[in-house]
Amino acid sequence: MVDRFTTAPLELPATDRPFERADLIFYGLDHSGASFEARVFMDQRGVGGDADTTHRAYVGSFFILGHGGCFGDVGHCDIAAERDPFDLRPAHQLEPAVRVLTVTEPLRALLERGVEAAKVTVTSHTEGRAPNDVLTFETVRLATYA
Amino acid sequence: MSPAATPSPAAAPVALRHRRSVRRLTAGQLADLRQAITAAQAINDDRGYQNWAGIHGLPLPISCVHHHELFLPWHRAYLYFFEKALQERVPGVTLPWWNWTVEHAQGIPAAYAKRQADGRKNPLFDSPIQPSGRERPSQARTTRAPGPPGELPSPETVEAVLANRDFLTFQTQLESVHDGVHVWTGGTMGDIAVAAYDPLFWAHHAMIDRLWYLWQLRHPGAGVPAQLLDRALAPFPITVRDTLDVSRLGYDYAAATAAVEGPGRG
Repeated sequence: MVDRFTTAPLELPATDRPFERADLIFYGLDHSGASFEARVFMDQRGVGGDADTTHRAYVGSFFILGHGGCFGDVGHCDIAAERDPFDLRPAHQLEPAVRVLTVTEPLRALLERGVEAAKVTVTSHTEGRAPNDVLTFETVRLATYA
Repeated sequence: MSPAATPSPAAAPVALRHRRSVRRLTAGQLADLRQAITAAQAINDDRGYQNWAGIHGLPLPISCVHHHELFLPWHRAYLYFFEKALQERVPGVTLPWWNWTVEHAQGIPAAYAKRQADGRKNPLFDSPIQPSGRERPSQARTTRAPGPPGELPSPETVEAVLANRDFLTFQTQLESVHDGVHVWTGGTMGDIAVAAYDPLFWAHHAMIDRLWYLWQLRHPGAGVPAQLLDRALAPFPITVRDTLDVSRLGYDYAAATAAVEGPGRG
């Protein structure tokens, strides 16, 4: 778990491919710990740990209502590596989450500045004195819709 | 009912009960709600408030469904059965909804924000947390730590979510907004294990349920994927299919309503 992560450059759509909406889709988000706000920045330069929503590279936030830790015995919240195809029980509650952040206007602004690829930086922020290192995700994908 | 089932406002309109905006409750409706919550708090068995709050989180098992394809149906079922429990205390009472997209300057609705109401303790302000529901022994009552009111979701944000035509995409985006309000409220509401002990939880989730209802009205051709329709919503004895039409559950979110008697059946 980390409190910030910057991806490799994400290829942006060509300027001759107009779109009505653009989404950043985060897959594989962990939600087993504390609740948090994830602030997302694109094409960041100098996004420090205290970067807030007024930073020029800020494109939006998504939120995770966290499970708050495990309240059972050892192994209670472990997700089985493999699932029996005949298992009719509901999926484990801590299966990773997906979040969709609409970034239509920020993406247009990046394209107008001639940016062709942009790193995505995510910082996580919990309430009060809870540690901020609650962030993990598997993939972030940019999708545009005409 | 088809997978694209939508609410049927024409079905048995006289029998429906209406969930109303918290800010538009009459003094009598608010008094009924407070009476119902107070009465439920006084019951220590499976009809009581503590039992219903505990179904969502602690004590184990944590039954709520989050970040999951059954998020909206499960919570619709949860509110339905809790509302039924309240109606056993005060007939006709319904859960109000907290429209957090308007009147941001107020933040927490006044009905829930004051420690006292009508010279008595306000049961909507906070709630005890049963010992088996606490994460730590000191967590005896619910708390809140709301953020700046201006950071609550805007009407434009909700409108963008409602514009989605695919149920699963809509649900994912609505849950993100939902999570944001939980985090904004802070304290107990920011913690799944105890969130439902806060009386404000029910008004927040009635708003989420209302937005699903509005989405259903707006996109009558869309619906819950067919493969989900017969999924059970444990521990409630109903399936996803049973939750699709709120008129079958006996309520709706009419902004205004009136009814008159017809000539009868002769």
